[in-house]
Amino acid sequence: MGRLRQKGQAGAAKAYVTRSAAIKKLQCSLADFRRLCILKGIFPREPKSRKRANKGSSAPTTFYYSKDIAYLAHEPVLKKLREHKAFAKKLSRALGRGEWSSAKSLEENKPVYRLDHIIKERYPTFIDALRDIDDALCMIFLFASLPSNPRIPPSLIENCSRLAAEWQLYIMRSQSLRKSFLSIKGVYYQAEVMDQTITWLVPYQFTQNIPVDVDVRVMLTFLELYQTLLGFVFFKLYTDVGLVYPPPLDTKRDESAAGVGAYILQEASQKAEKPAVPKVKVVEVEGRQVSGKDVYKTIKNLASSTFKADDMDVDSPVVENKSGDVDEEFVVQPSKSDAELASSLPTLLSLKALPQSINTSLFAPYTFWLSRETSRPVFEFLVRSFGGKIGWPTSSGGGSPIDESDESITHVIIDRPVVEQHSESEEQRELRLKRKYVQPQWVVDSINAGKILLEAPYAQGETLPPHLSPFGEYEGAYDPAALTNEQAVTAEDESEIEGEDEEIEDAEPQNPEALQTVATAAVEDSVALRAAELAAEAAGIDPNTFEKEVAKSRRKSKKVPSNGVDEAEADMNKMMMSNKQKKLYEKVKHSQNKRNLERSKLEEKKRTLEKQKRKSHTT
Amino acid sequence: MIVPARSSKKRKQHDGNESLGVFRESIDMEMLSDEEDGEEVESDNGDVDEFPEIDAGSDESNEKDENDESGDEDEDEDEDEDENEENKVIREGSDDSHEELRIFPKAKTIVSGITGQEKRVYPEIEPEYDSDSSTEDTPNRVGEIPMHWYDDLPHVGYDMDGKRVLKPARGDELDRFLETVEDPNSWISAFDKTAQADNPLTAEELDIIQRLYTNENPDANYDPYAPSTEWFTGQGKEEIMPLTAAPEPKRRWVPSKWEHKKVMKIVRAIRQGRILPNKAKNTSQPPFYAIWSESSALHAPPLPAPKPRLPSNFESYNPPEEYLPSEEDRKQWEETDPEDRERDYVPHKYSALRLVPGYDRFIKDRFNRQLDLYMAPRVQRVKLNIDPNSLIPKLPSPNSLKPYPTYRSLQVPHQNMARCISVSPDGAWVVSGDEGGVVGLWEVNVGREVKKWKFNEKIGSVEWCPRTDVIYFVVGTEDMLHFLIPPNLPPSVLQLTQSILAPSTLPPAPEVPSPVKWSTSSSNAWSDDNAILTVHLPPSSGLPSQIAWHRRGDYLASVSIGAAQGAVWIHQVSRRHSQAPFKKVRGKVQLVLFHPMKPCFFVATQQYVRMYNLSEQKLLKTLQPGIKWISSMDVHPSGDHLIVGGYDRKLCWFDLELSDKPYKVLRYHTRAIRSLHFHPTYPLFASSSDDGVIQIFHARVYNDLMTDPLIVPLKILRGHEVTEGLGVLQVKWCSRHPWLISGGADGAVNVWCS
Repeated sequence: MGRLRQKGQAGAAKAYVTRSAAIKKLQCSLADFRRLCILKGIFPREPKSRKRANKGSSAPTTFYYSKDIAYLAHEPVLKKLREHKAFAKKLSRALGRGEWSSAKSLEENKPVYRLDHIIKERYPTFIDALRDIDDALCMIFLFASLPSNPRIPPSLIENCSRLAAEWQLYIMRSQSLRKSFLSIKGVYYQAEVMDQTITWLVPYQFTQNIPVDVDVRVMLTFLELYQTLLGFVFFKLYTDVGLVYPPPLDTKRDESAAGVGAYILQEASQKAEKPAVPKVKVVEVEGRQVSGKDVYKTIKNLASSTFKADDMDVDSPVVENKSGDVDEEFVVQPSKSDAELASSLPTLLSLKALPQSINTSLFAPYTFWLSRETSRPVFEFLVRSFGGKIGWPTSSGGGSPIDESDESITHVIIDRPVVEQHSESEEQRELRLKRKYVQPQWVVDSINAGKILLEAPYAQGETLPPHLSPFGEYEGAYDPAALTNEQAVTAEDESEIEGEDEEIEDAEPQNPEALQTVATAAVEDSVALRAAELAAEAAGIDPNTFEKEVAKSRRKSKKVPSNGVDEAEADMNKMMMSNKQKKLYEKVKHSQNKRNLERSKLEEKKRTLEKQKRKSHTT
Repeated sequence: MIVPARSSKKRKQHDGNESLGVFRESIDMEMLSDEEDGEEVESDNGDVDEFPEIDAGSDESNEKDENDESGDEDEDEDEDEDENEENKVIREGSDDSHEELRIFPKAKTIVSGITGQEKRVYPEIEPEYDSDSSTEDTPNRVGEIPMHWYDDLPHVGYDMDGKRVLKPARGDELDRFLETVEDPNSWISAFDKTAQADNPLTAEELDIIQRLYTNENPDANYDPYAPSTEWFTGQGKEEIMPLTAAPEPKRRWVPSKWEHKKVMKIVRAIRQGRILPNKAKNTSQPPFYAIWSESSALHAPPLPAPKPRLPSNFESYNPPEEYLPSEEDRKQWEETDPEDRERDYVPHKYSALRLVPGYDRFIKDRFNRQLDLYMAPRVQRVKLNIDPNSLIPKLPSPNSLKPYPTYRSLQVPHQNMARCISVSPDGAWVVSGDEGGVVGLWEVNVGREVKKWKFNEKIGSVEWCPRTDVIYFVVGTEDMLHFLIPPNLPPSVLQLTQSILAPSTLPPAPEVPSPVKWSTSSSNAWSDDNAILTVHLPPSSGLPSQIAWHRRGDYLASVSIGAAQGAVWIHQVSRRHSQAPFKKVRGKVQLVLFHPMKPCFFVATQQYVRMYNLSEQKLLKTLQPGIKWISSMDVHPSGDHLIVGGYDRKLCWFDLELSDKPYKVLRYHTRAIRSLHFHPTYPLFASSSDDGVIQIFHARVYNDLMTDPLIVPLKILRGHEVTEGLGVLQVKWCSRHPWLISGGADGAVNVWCS
């Protein structure tokens, strides 16, 4: 007989700990535990048997892997959090006693934790990090648009908007934007960076209010992590393409609300030849002005105006460079032992497939002018990522490279109803005729289609064609675009049939049953058909109605057996499935039916809409 | 505690004032104030109280002073001496009480003024704390009791003679009002509870009120600006001698060397630059650097969080119109809980981008996503991307497995439920019995009814004898088995049948008389209408629900439903003898079957099927179909396979060579299975159920042990009506053709042909 094993000494009881047990072990507060979990990316697990994991109790709790918690126990951040707790006590005591100088020195030596090691731990490779920046980007863009309040300091918002601008600059320069989607929630962008698809959502430019049921502490903790993560990711991205990170900010332009244009992309080589790299000390002593001067110097050093340089940045040679890099990487990677990594890297096939499907310099031959009411950040980003030139009125911010009267403008993005202009000078008229006025959706639709669409349906004041999601849906989903032709045909068919039916019913009230039976029987073979025809003639039935009846029964017979026989057989074969298979089958079928239901519902709606439309046309 | 005491003192003082005049008052006051002073000193700083322990003289001097005072008093006033003494003693007593708990009054020796002798005087016993004679004057005769006890009574206490002291008359509200007008003193009078009358306040009381009103000390004699008495400080009270004689240590006045060392260490560190007084913030590491430049640790990266779902066309600001929700959809969306909604937004169409408003749930969405990230348990699931139809087993098409019955060729109606059917061994004739007691004999091909027998009770079972040289069948009715010979038999066959069922010389009766009686009608009464042989089962054994023939046609077994024990009988026709094979059976026997090859016998109880060897008389196997209640059973003609059907819709296929557990369990009927039958020659079996459906299966059994039997569902035969919750009650195959006969609860007996 083996050794008696005690309960709760091995297995699930050991592998899982409840949350309260974890907190007790770590000796920290729940808030600190949550903060740690967020930073370290530790999440609860679902044990196979909750009862076994909770040592026989079935009380509702959350479980964590005990190894995760053991890991947390050695976390430097946890140590810092404890230090911070002590610091807070000391500080409050000093303040309470009115010992201002000691409070000040305490404040100066406040414990600060860094998240570098966590970033490295959570994302051992750059690709891992890149894969996971979707949520980070969403948060950064959201906080960049928030108003500051006592809980959200302006410095945080400033940093977020800085990171957002850096990301946009990188995407514009590397021309890696692929898709965009104007939704009711905001604008979705999808970019492909190092073969990773990154999707982020940017809210429309309205003031967001933080609802009361949202815990800002949690959001800020996430934001803390995301800022660090994005900083490292951007550093790598920038340095990989030979740019200086962080890109210096042109304060003057920033003050004139240039947005993204306020940052200057600086080649690393240029920076190297310039000795006046702003040292930390200099900046500290002399403040912001010096750095601003530095910036000006660098600007002057650039050959021509910065805008042109910017535009040059966003040219195709860069793309070539990049693809070459990737090729090199591909050659290097297989030597590494990590098999998973190699598999996630771009293959030659995927690289070849890439440029064909996407035209990254779609708008290169065009120059756009943004009308006042359109959102500048959105369309500036979209147009410039696809190689276009864009200008905007000063009311939408400074830094426009062209003004409205520029001859090169080919498209005007305008989003207002047509107003008849009476007093129009000759020049204006000429300009107006030369340019194409399109609604903003045209830009996005063109990007998603991968080609310049016809401007006419998107012209100013036109009813826009529907805007569809470029991200695609599950296989076999309802496709609003594909259905139109087929469905029109079938609908006509149906209406015809209905009409025929009515005709037939009107025509022969004498013996419809006999006719139908004859016709259905006759469908089977030609001889019988012949005989039936004769019989019908003898019975005095109109040959036309007879033929229609035959056609109808043929349609019916086509539909019925193909379904009926197969289904019956399949149904019978289902009897022989095992119970497990049966359950799985039911599950799969259920989801399929749900999809089909949704699809058919949409189709049905479409049909009724079309019918209504046709009716309104005819009347 | 203090306030009432003080007030009583006040009253005392005031009384004294009234009775004794100015001088008395002053003395009294002085003493009182003295006492109060002492009290205040005590309460103000408690440690002063303990100090006088050191010098005992001060106390004495105090007492001396007091004595001097009292001496003065003595000189001044002789007539009040006693009272004074009294007062003094009382005061001393009260002083004592401050210091220690006084148990009984102290005696005092004084020189008597009359005799000149010393005498002991005890202080008078106080009847009440701080009481004095003034309390005796009160007109109140009832003592210090709550006066509201007398509220309802006309009097307030009693006088010396025991007469009631009536309450002073009190007028009503109007009188009182008039009083306030008339009486000039009414505004300074208050209701005295003890006197039960309005008494004007005294000047002192008014004074107190006045003082309280102006937030002053109510005591008129209290001097807030009295000069403080300096007890321990000041001129002539300096401490002359130090407390200890030890010399002052050096460390009090020589600078510390150790401290100097420490300070110098810091100074040196500052000079060398090791300590920076205003050290800049730790900027050793830049905020961002190439973190991924060096290779990472070996551990695998944690599982990345699942990405949120990408937006569909529903989310577009300008979706196609069919995506917009109808009124009902919108209402339904609003009614469902936010957690249960399929989408967390309502699709909306805007004609232009400038009209799109800000999305108010943006932050909430982000927050929910974050909650998902750190609070939701994550489970890695393998997503099954399989075609569900691939799960359905691939079986040969039914068309390739023909022939099997596909349609109903004819229908023979019965008046009642057709409970039982049997097909003759040559497959040409069918007998069917119904609940009304009618047994019909008809021909399979055209359904012509040849003969009808009428019994008084309902028919439980009908079964043809499997012998081919003789032709007869057995009908089971209540407690009886009837052996019937169909009409129009060839004479030779008829003769042989008669000779078997009613031999001219009866076999010898068994030694032990059996409860089962065999009786033959007399030979002249033989006709087609009557049973040639009748077996009387033991009374109250009930309806024989099943009759099972042995393949030789000599033995038959009957199962009666009524009897708990002894429900099973095995009858031997040639010996005209019946025996009960089991003395005791656990459970209620549902069905029995003879093995087609071996001398084996199957007995199905409610949940188990037991297989007995008849020759060795022992149990071979107990099969566990896992059915709650077995309804039907049949054995494959090869004898190696058994199917068992139950009222819980299950059908179990047993391979008798293998285990006690079913090889396959099928559940396809929607109601209880009623009957099962294997075709004797074709590889077919049929099951019928209460849902009015007959299911035909192809069941191929292979001779080699390695191949599993092939079961293919072939056809569902519909055509029976479900009446009273019962569907098809029995199915039987024609032995020579793939034809099926079925009897339903709707009274129809159908023949299904291929």
